[in-house]
Amino acid sequence: MDVEFRIRRFDGEKSYWQTFNIPVKRGMTVLEGLYYIKENLDGSLTFRASCRMAICGSCAVKINGKPRLACETQILEIGNSLEVEPLDNFKVIKDLVTDFEGFFKKHEAVKPYLIRKDDNYEEPVELIQSPKELHAYYDFTLCVKCGACYSVCPAAATRDDYLGPAAITAAYRFNADSRDEGEKIRLALVCGDNGVWRCHFAAECSEVCPKQIDPAKAVQKIRFKSAIETIKSIFR
Amino acid sequence: MWQKWFSVKGKSLFSIAFSLHRLTGVVLTIYLCMHLAYLTSIRMGKEVFESFIATTVTPQFLIFDILLVLAGIYHGVNGLRLILHEFGLTYESRKSILYVSVAIVLIVWLIASYRMYTFVMGV
Amino acid sequence: MKVQHDIVIVGAGLAGMRAVIAAAEKSKKLSIALISKTYPIRCHSVCAEGGTAAVMREGDSFDLHAWDTVKGSDFLADQDAVEFFVREMPKEILRLDNWGCPWSRTEDGLIAQRAFGGHSFNRTIFAADRTGFHEVHTLYERMLMYPNVIRYDEYFLTSLVIEDGKIKGLTAIELKTGDLILFEAKAVILATGGAGRLYGFTTYSHTVTGDGMAVAYRAGVPLKDMEFFQFHPTGLVPSGILMTEACRGEGGYLRNKDGERFMERYAPEKMELAPRDVVARAMWKEILEGRGIESEHGYYIALDLTHLGEEKINERLPLIRDAAIKFVGIDPVEEPIPVRPVAHYTMGGVHTNANCESPVKGLYAAGEAGCVSIHGANRLGSNSTAECLVFGRAAGEKAAEYVLNADYSHVSNEVYKAEESRIFDEILGKSGDENPYQLKKELNETMDKNLWIFRIEDELKEAVKKIKELKERFNNVEIVDKTKGFNTDLVYTFEVGYMLDLAEVVAIGALNRTESRGAHYRLDYPKRDDENWLKHTLAYYTPDGPRFEYIPVTITKWEPVERKY
Ligand SMILES: Cc1cc2nc3c(=O)[nH]c(=O)nc-3n(C[C@H](O)[C@H](O)[C@H](O)COP(=O)(O)OP(=O)(O)OC[C@H]3O[C@@H](n4cnc5c(N)ncnc54)[C@H](O)[C@@H]3O)c2cc1C
Ligand code: HEM
Ligand code: SF4
Ligand code: FES
Repeated sequence: MDVEFRIRRFDGEKSYWQTFNIPVKRGMTVLEGLYYIKENLDGSLTFRASCRMAICGSCAVKINGKPRLACETQILEIGNSLEVEPLDNFKVIKDLVTDFEGFFKKHEAVKPYLIRKDDNYEEPVELIQSPKELHAYYDFTLCVKCGACYSVCPAAATRDDYLGPAAITAAYRFNADSRDEGEKIRLALVCGDNGVWRCHFAAECSEVCPKQIDPAKAVQKIRFKSAIETIKSIFR
Repeated sequence: MWQKWFSVKGKSLFSIAFSLHRLTGVVLTIYLCMHLAYLTSIRMGKEVFESFIATTVTPQFLIFDILLVLAGIYHGVNGLRLILHEFGLTYESRKSILYVSVAIVLIVWLIASYRMYTFVMGV
Repeated sequence: MKVQHDIVIVGAGLAGMRAVIAAAEKSKKLSIALISKTYPIRCHSVCAEGGTAAVMREGDSFDLHAWDTVKGSDFLADQDAVEFFVREMPKEILRLDNWGCPWSRTEDGLIAQRAFGGHSFNRTIFAADRTGFHEVHTLYERMLMYPNVIRYDEYFLTSLVIEDGKIKGLTAIELKTGDLILFEAKAVILATGGAGRLYGFTTYSHTVTGDGMAVAYRAGVPLKDMEFFQFHPTGLVPSGILMTEACRGEGGYLRNKDGERFMERYAPEKMELAPRDVVARAMWKEILEGRGIESEHGYYIALDLTHLGEEKINERLPLIRDAAIKFVGIDPVEEPIPVRPVAHYTMGGVHTNANCESPVKGLYAAGEAGCVSIHGANRLGSNSTAECLVFGRAAGEKAAEYVLNADYSHVSNEVYKAEESRIFDEILGKSGDENPYQLKKELNETMDKNLWIFRIEDELKEAVKKIKELKERFNNVEIVDKTKGFNTDLVYTFEVGYMLDLAEVVAIGALNRTESRGAHYRLDYPKRDDENWLKHTLAYYTPDGPRFEYIPVTITKWEPVERKY
């Protein structure tokens, strides 16, 4: 069966739509479709991909208006014509490739690593963590940094220094880890001017996240914590 | 930038709720300003004020009023929904809460519209 | 443009990032650069599912782990390296624990372990079935703590600069702008991963094209044991996505079209958990003998998890369930998964000693790109993420020690100019009538057909001929995309060039090795031949194809015996 791919392209100066018709078999993913075009129709089509098993986060693009991982999206589930565009809220570099540098910087900015006073590189010890404590944060570790959440976030559209759902989720993931001692430090980082209070709970991030990790929930949890801390500090 | 606040293509109900909330917030603010201007007219005398009111409480104006009330109710009810979630509560049932909110908005709005209709039409 | 660093690490997978951390821990004064063609967390290591082996508990011992590894390697592993490896491993697990890795836990909060093929103790540590993913993220996040690490994300390595047997630096293209950057360095660590995309049906990410191996090879560094490629028994049909060995570790069965658990006939003791080469050959034999299950994508074997129950599958194998549902529309809770052996691991790599030092001074290799040789002719499951951790660290530390007493080396402008003109005038500017995608496709077909699980002289010769022809045609390649910034067409062409060189080494190496050992199985020489072939292959680059040398295997405690499971 032939399927029409309408692709939003950008060559560094101008952006335009281009249409390709490609033969599709059952089971073929959008990423395979893009590779088909690159290998057979137009070698200059530019996109990112690596694992093709929905775990590396390279291939998020907008498919019919909704950000998804191209490698886990079945073409025939979408229909017999589809529109592929780069993610919103990111600067486009070329075709479907967008600039992720700022996105990774924001992730870095929330100190997304265990902070422990007794950190010992030479002689590590086994830390005890019950399965229950593990479950308290485990789901939030699954973020693949695909940027889908950031691309639909209205707060990120307003200001490009907003930390965004993924970075805040990373902060929450470590705050909720029983092995961590850095909650205060991270709260200070994510409750500032460009932090959680910019969220308007459009909750679209949770809707589009391909890993169903509910970034909006992480944001609200941190907010609550921050509000409580602030109230406490008034009475202290 | 602001266009993105209102682009709803491919978005879920949550985003649409956000867009509407923002829209109604702005509408309400504009209305508030107008309303204050209206109220200020009482300084020009009771007659002027009454004649102003008389022009607005008319069938022609009713349609605007009903829409305004919709905006107000939506903004209020949705606002309460947001406050609830933004305290980190009931996140898991956000879908049903959204549906319930919309239902409440519609019911309250219909009742209010009926009341306004009967009041203006004098029936 | 030119930049200078003490150590430049190429490749941000498990091995590369572990090396970065080790070097940064060694001294805060070192300036350390990390180059990768993908963002670090998009490296191929995130695909590793099953787990990482280490001796952690009562009942297990270093000697037992070492013996399993050596036996698994069909005695081609260097035993001094293996002994070092097993001893260092437990600490690496604990370090990752201290750095935030969400290891799966036992009820009392200890790090949990499970069974894995070829290991005679349940020693595989895991984080659900996303072990590599969590390890990569943990290392990446830890790495952010060190201010003296400078990342160059999305830079593509094109050549190494080696003068007088000493490393001087390397060149890489900054993908975003398309500029060529010269890195001057006292030491370079290659951690660019394996060469799996030589094959078409493979578990590897699209980006695993053996770049580091090929670049080193062209610069005169020998490659070791490249003919040994591991075939994993269970690749999802048709995409090749890995169905982790943990499926069988958790109790899954393999069945042929008669519903028979055929492993009974091949490895009665270990059954489905025999080492990979044994299981893969058994499955392929079932298929060749007509006991595979037919489908529109060819014959397959059924991986049956249905008896495990939904709860266990959700708890221990969530990714597998998700992938099976998303990519083939099969829910493993209800139906068996269609699988077939699939190209999975590159045992060979850049020749190094047990300290990760290559023959070139200041050049190190670690992870899948290197070949310390702890895997020999066949690697055991969960030993390779482990290798990346231990030898990544070793490489980082050794490089740091070396660099602290070494001077900067200057690379002349000519070298840079020559490389720039090679890339932009000769490769990008060239016109011709071949396209790289077609060549890659033909290469994959050849590899899948002639260098697969069962090898035989005629087919190997055919492959060598075909690869030479492809190399010839490669000179005539024209790149469609002539722009500079983010030119993936150019990158792809480079990768195809690299892969052709490597394929030649693999094919001729396999043709030369007239025995069957581990993953290398010759139908015409079905026996292991310790008398003539208990030795490592080294391939050196020459313009007319590889030149081979052989070096002995280091044996400390374990003399070769027959390998039975
Ligand atoms: C599907 C799958 C599952 C696996 N499961 C397991 C398991 O359960 N247990 C286990 O022990 N092992 C497993 N393995 C093997 C293991 O994952 C790999 O051997 C290991 O991750 C290799 O890591 P690495 O650091 O050497 O390389 P990689 O992770 O491949 O990293 C290579 C890095 O080099 C960079 N690079 C490559 N070329 C260039 C270039 N030209 N310029 C710049 N940078 C470049 C890449 O961007 C990347 O950052 C699995 C492998 C596969 C395919
Ligand atoms: C029942 C009473 C009201 C409630 C519960 C309420 C609640 C809220 C909440 C929770 C927000 C923040 C939404 C967000 O995070 O995006 C908000 C925004 C806003 N409100 Fe209200 N509100 C009420 C009445 C009004 C009135 C009467 C006006 C007009 C004067 C108004 C104007 C606005 C405006 C302009 C915004 C900003 C819109 C935005 O940022 O998207 N609100 N309201
Ligand atoms: S939170 Fe979800 S959508 Fe956002 S980057 Fe992570 S995986 Fe992607
Ligand atoms: S290619 Fe890795 S997530 Fe799609």
